[in-house]
This record gives sequence, C-alpha cells and structure tokens, in this order.
Amino acid sequence: MSGKPRETANVGAGLWKATGMWAWLLFRISGLVLVFYLGAHIIIISTGQFGADGEALNGFMKTFDHPVAVLLDLALVVAVLYHALNGVRIILMDFGVGVQRHKIIFWSAMAVVVICFAIFAWVALTYIVTGEGVTS
Amino acid sequence: MKAATVSTYRGGMWSWLFQRITAVLLIVCLAIHLIFTHILSIGELDYINIGDRLAHAGLTAVDIILLAAGIYHALNGLRMVLMDYWFTSRKRALTLTIGLWVVGLAFMGYGTWALWPWIS
Repeated sequence: MSGKPRETANVGAGLWKATGMWAWLLFRISGLVLVFYLGAHIIIISTGQFGADGEALNGFMKTFDHPVAVLLDLALVVAVLYHALNGVRIILMDFGVGVQRHKIIFWSAMAVVVICFAIFAWVALTYIVTGEGVTS
Repeated sequence: MKAATVSTYRGGMWSWLFQRITAVLLIVCLAIHLIFTHILSIGELDYINIGDRLAHAGLTAVDIILLAAGIYHALNGLRMVLMDYWFTSRKRALTLTIGLWVVGLAFMGYGTWALWPWIS
C-alpha cells in the first residue's frame, strides 16, 4: 500500500502515528482523570443534603475557594476542554470529515482549547488576585 | 485491509452510538454548567447559590442531563479503556459491563436523591 491510503486505513484502526498517538494518549489520560473527578464531584455536591441548610457542602465550598484549589480547578478545565475538543475531532472523523486532514483539524481544535482556557484562566486569576469574580 | 493486531470487538454498536450522543449532550450542558459555576459564580458557590440556580427548571434539567449523560459517558469510557487491558474476553467484558452498570445506577440514585428537593 502506498503512503496516503495506508495512513487513512490506520486512522480507522486507531493506529495513528505521531500527532494522532499523542492525541489518543492524552484523550485517554484526561478521560480517566475526568471519570474519577466526576465520582468525587457527585459525592461531594450531594453532601448538600446533609446537615441543616447544606452545612456539610458549605464547608467543602469554603475549601475550594482557596487559591491552590482554584488552580487545580483550572487544571481540570484543561482536561475538560482537551477531552471535549479532541472528542469533537473524533466525531468529525466518524462522519468521515477531515480524515485526510486530521492534523490540521487537531491543531485547530487545540487553538479552541487555548482560547477557551484563556477566558477561564483570566477569571480564575482575577479571583485569586482580587478575591472577586470578573462579573461581580 | 484490516490490521491483525486490532480486536474486532470494540464494545458494541449501541455503546458506541450512546457514547457519541452523550458526548454531544455533555459538550452543550457542560458549557452551560461551567459558565455558571466557574465564570459567573466563582467564589460564591455554596448551598444557597447553587439552590437559587436549581430553582430554575431549565437548569435543573441541565443538571439531570449532566448526571445521566456524565455517568454513562464516564463509565462506558472507563469500560473501553479496561477492555484494552484485562477485560479482553467477551466473558470478562460482560462481567465488567454488569459491574459498571451497578456502580452507575448507584451514582445515579445518589445524585437524583441529592437533586430531589428541586425535582419534586
């Protein structure tokens, strides 16, 4: 098989090279991080039903306002954005869009990740520095 | 031409389809969720603040969709990863699937219980 068709065939089989392999690995790692985060998130948020007027939940929420927690939250936003945008690329490929141009589509998706992250980072850093959100 | 190293059993057609459907639901609902919590209410999140938002039926609906689609997408994703390692045979995969459904339904029940004051 010559270069082009073989590359296309490998995309379908999940055996992408270079960019695709890293995209796949990071997709898997971010996915696993998000699975465990979701479990913790459901367990913690649901504590709102314990104690009078969400006493237990308010205790957690105070902790999450700490600058270190806000930065960890920002790391989580990176995982969500990467997983979401690479996921969009995978769905596009399922429809046969961009199979020949998967690299340019990957880097376009990453540009969207960076732009969205910049917005979240601006809000989070403003909060860390001033103690207030950008809309309050 | 099919590569010989890749297993032909890839989790089933329905789980593949639902993984895509829940993915699209999650992108839309998670965008709403993150804008409200991480941008508009940063530093103000507590029981009252969250409860005020849940008083709007639309946002309660978003939370229920997030709960159901999130649990399905997360556990089916975990299933796909684990099937690449130890749960490689059909029999092991089935055990895994049943186990994950039990875990998923437990989380769904717990989350629904927590949201119940706003659902009812």
